This record gives sequence, C-alpha cells and structure tokens, in this order.
Amino acid sequence: MVDKRVDKRTNLNMDIKIKQNGLRLRRYLTVYKECVKVAFATASTYRLNFILNCTIMLLGDIIFPLITVLIYGSGAGFEGWTVYEVLLIQSIFTMSTAIADMTFHGVMWVTMDMVRSGNMEMVLILPVDTMFILMARTFSFEGIGLFIGGLVIFIVAILNVVVPSILMWLQFFAYFIIGVLVMMGIALVMAAISFKWVGNSRIPEIFSSIRSFGKYPQSIFPKAIVIITSIIIPIAMIAYYPAAALLGRGNSGMFIMILPCLLFLLFGIYLYRYMVRLYQGVGG
Amino acid sequence: MKTIKKQLNILWAVAVVTYKEWSAYRTHSMVSILVGPIYFIVQYFIWTAAYGGRTMLNGMDLTQMITYFGASTLIGYLTMDFADWNLQMLIRTGKFLTFALRPIHHRFFAFSQKVGHRVLGLLFEFIPCYIIFTLLFKVSLVPRHMGWTILSVLLAFLMNFYIHYILGMTAFWFTQSSGIRRVFDLLSGVFSGVFIPLVFFPHALQKILFFLPFPYMSYVPVMVFTGNFTLAGIEMDIPIIVGIQALAVCITILISELLYRASMRRFNGVGA
Repeated sequence: MVDKRVDKRTNLNMDIKIKQNGLRLRRYLTVYKECVKVAFATASTYRLNFILNCTIMLLGDIIFPLITVLIYGSGAGFEGWTVYEVLLIQSIFTMSTAIADMTFHGVMWVTMDMVRSGNMEMVLILPVDTMFILMARTFSFEGIGLFIGGLVIFIVAILNVVVPSILMWLQFFAYFIIGVLVMMGIALVMAAISFKWVGNSRIPEIFSSIRSFGKYPQSIFPKAIVIITSIIIPIAMIAYYPAAALLGRGNSGMFIMILPCLLFLLFGIYLYRYMVRLYQGVGG
Repeated sequence: MKTIKKQLNILWAVAVVTYKEWSAYRTHSMVSILVGPIYFIVQYFIWTAAYGGRTMLNGMDLTQMITYFGASTLIGYLTMDFADWNLQMLIRTGKFLTFALRPIHHRFFAFSQKVGHRVLGLLFEFIPCYIIFTLLFKVSLVPRHMGWTILSVLLAFLMNFYIHYILGMTAFWFTQSSGIRRVFDLLSGVFSGVFIPLVFFPHALQKILFFLPFPYMSYVPVMVFTGNFTLAGIEMDIPIIVGIQALAVCITILISELLYRASMRRFNGVGA
C-alpha cells in the first residue's frame, strides 16, 4: 500500500518535471524566435551595411579557395587530392563558419565586450541561461552571404568528384553537424578565456590560426599534428572528415572521432559556465 | 635646422608616450608569438606538399618560398598600420577638431604614434618570432642585401602609413568608412602577396599590380629580402625595384597631401 503511494507520488513529480521542462523549452524557443526577428529587423533597417558586410565576409572567406586554385593553376597540388576535392574541404569549412557566425560566434565578442566594460551582470540577472541568451541575442543574418558562397563552391566541387551514395551523404551530414558543434566549443573556450584575459581582441586570432589547419587535407600534415587536430582540438571534423565521408575516403574508425568532438564541446560549455560563475561585477 | 630638431623632439615625445601606452597591453602584441609561428607551420606544410617532387614553381624553389613566408610575417610586424582606424574614429566622433586646432600636423602626430607602436612590435613580435623561425624552424632569415632590405622595409613602412592615412581620410566624406577599410584590407591582403606570392597570379594581373600600391607594401620588401625580384615575368635588379618603390611612396605622399588639403576645406566641427 505504502509502496503504491510512493510510486504514485514519484510519477506525479516526474509528470510535473516533464511539464516544467516542456514549458521551459517552449519559453526558450519563443525567446530565440524573438531574437531572430530582432536580427532580421536590424538587417532590414541597415540594409546597405548588411549587404556590404555580407559581401565582405563572402569575399574574405573565398581567399582560401582562390589560393588553392592558384596553387593548382601553377601545376602544383597536394598529392592524392584533385583541386575539386580540396575545394570541397574548403567549401564545407566556409559553410560551417557561416553557420557559426550566424548562430553562436557572437557569444565570444559580446562576452569579451561585457567583461571589459563590466556589464555582464545585466545579463546574469535575467531569468534565462546566460550562454543561451547571449547566443540568441547575437544571432546575425550577415553570415548568409558567406553560406551561399560556400554552398556555390560546394556544388561546383561536388559536381566534379565521384557521385556520393546516400550513406555517404548521411555520414557527411552527421560529421558536418559535429563539426559545427566543434566550432561552438571553440567559440565558448575563446569567450571563457576573455573572462581572464580581459579586453584582448586578439584571442580569436589564436584560434583562427589553429583552425587554419582544418582547411586543408590532413594528409599533408605530419602525424603529430593530425593527432592534435583530430583529438585534442578536433578541428579536422569541421571540414576534412565531412569531405572525406563524401569522397568515400572514410572508414569505420572515423566514427570514433566523434567522441573527442563531443568532449571538446562539453569542455567548452563547462569552462564557459565555470567562468560565468567566477565573474564578479559592481553594476557596470 | 631648428625646425627639424623641433619636429624630431615631437616625434620622439609622441613615440615614447605611444610606446608606454601600448606597453600596458603588451600581451596583445605577444599573441603574435603564438599566431605567427602557427600560420608559418601551416604555410610550411602546404607548400612542402604543393612542391612534392618539383624543384621550382613560378621561378621559386621551396627554400625561397619558405623564406618568403617567414620574411613576409616578420616584415608585416614592422610595417603593420591602423592609422585609418584612428583617423576615421576621430572624424566620426568629432574629436578631430582638437587636432585641427593644435600647432602640429595630425598626419605627423599619427606617424609618430606609429613609430612608437611599431617599436613595441619590434620588441614583442619581430624579435621573438625571428628567434623562433631561425632557431626552432631552422629558416635562414638573413637578407641577401642588408642595406637594400632595410631601405625597402622603411619605404614599405611609409607606404603602409600613407595608404592607411588616405583611407582614414575617406571618413571626411563618408563619416563611416569601415566598409571601405575592410574592402581595402581584403584587397591588400591578396594583392600585396601576404597570402601567396604575386607570381602565382595571371600575367595580365601581375602587370596591373605594378601600378597599384599593394606590391610596395609587402611583396617588394620581401622579395628584396630574398635577393631576387620578379613580377609579370620582369626580373629587376634590387636597386631598380627599390627605386621604383621610392617613387611609388613619393606619389602616395603627394596624393595624401592633396587629399588632406581637400579634406581640411571640407571639415567642420563644433566644440568637441
């Protein structure tokens, strides 16, 4: 009899918890939707600035494909890789960067700025998760030009390589999503560092230089670097592994590489939350 | 003589103050100790793989290519400039008015600031990275013609400054010139040879580049450093290309002066 009553109460508590979680999720979705609307309104208001920034971002990130074309145009190249295969890697990298710029890269800049100016508590007192609200508030449409540019290069490249099977496409999408999560991990680590290294606008440069290893076939680097780019800071997952899956160069061992990527993301989230907890401010 | 001495005193005073001011943020400069070598490693492996079994690519061998990127990185630390950002900020906020009233030309003030800032770059970026490149990566970074290289780097220093100052002056017309600056930074990155030596571009484009300021900002001093200059299939003696670089700098100074006078006729401000 007592056992039955305990069971009933436990079920009731679980129901309430699920309901609360559902409401919380719905509230977060509403907040995110509103932030996207605001971002759209901002882009519409400052149309010229928006178009100019989109174009510059697009031009800026097609430099690497241009260098690849120039290298191959001179008769040189990376052994075992055609120009379209290398372009495929770089276009995936561009698309991943565009998604990151639109959805979560802003967290790094806004955290850096808020810590420097001492405004962070204005966000901390809000009844939502700090990391979430900063990502939502910094949603930007400016990366859309970059994404389209990456997509065009991707289509050109894919039309000039072997036709991938459905399984290859599925693998590609899985790795691509994991690659975007690695980008998120990097953004959060950078944002977390800005709590200690206050006002240093060159922090992103450090990670940008590390990420540049991910724009090329990993076979051109020595094993030690490949271990670092696959396990420690898994930037190879951003573009190399998704491209390898599409080109049929993947193997079952590649699935294991998902683990360090997820661990890296969790490390980024943990570090960011830890630094937020350590933050001290006196009213901006 | 007295005027020159006075100007030198001003330059010294502004440079020292700028040095001290930026020394407080020396870790910003020291980021280059990490970033520079990382980019260099990437370039090293890209080009080692690209050469494969080939001995020459567009007239450059692998050793020359590696030296090119090492020298390009180091010279970049000495010539880097952001006079455009400072000037457009002063114009946009109206603070330029206070400079217009001072008994010192703002361009000279900005130049003195750059001298101080780049001395910091020399100590916290150039020297550490030079040591890393030569001792750790075993790259031979001794210029073939020391005197010509120093002269060419000084000219590139001036070229970078005057070009960025001209860019900054566009704010007198557009107020917000960040878009123009970003476009220019992008173009100069590509066409000054920072990402790839200019000999890799199509021949027609290489010929056009002779008449643009970009090669004189980075490509020319780097090629002078390596001891051979080639562009658009034209091989030139080092003194000749340094002479052309000096001419390009003179033209840029002239344009800067004309634009400054036009800007002053246009500028108006109240009580900043």
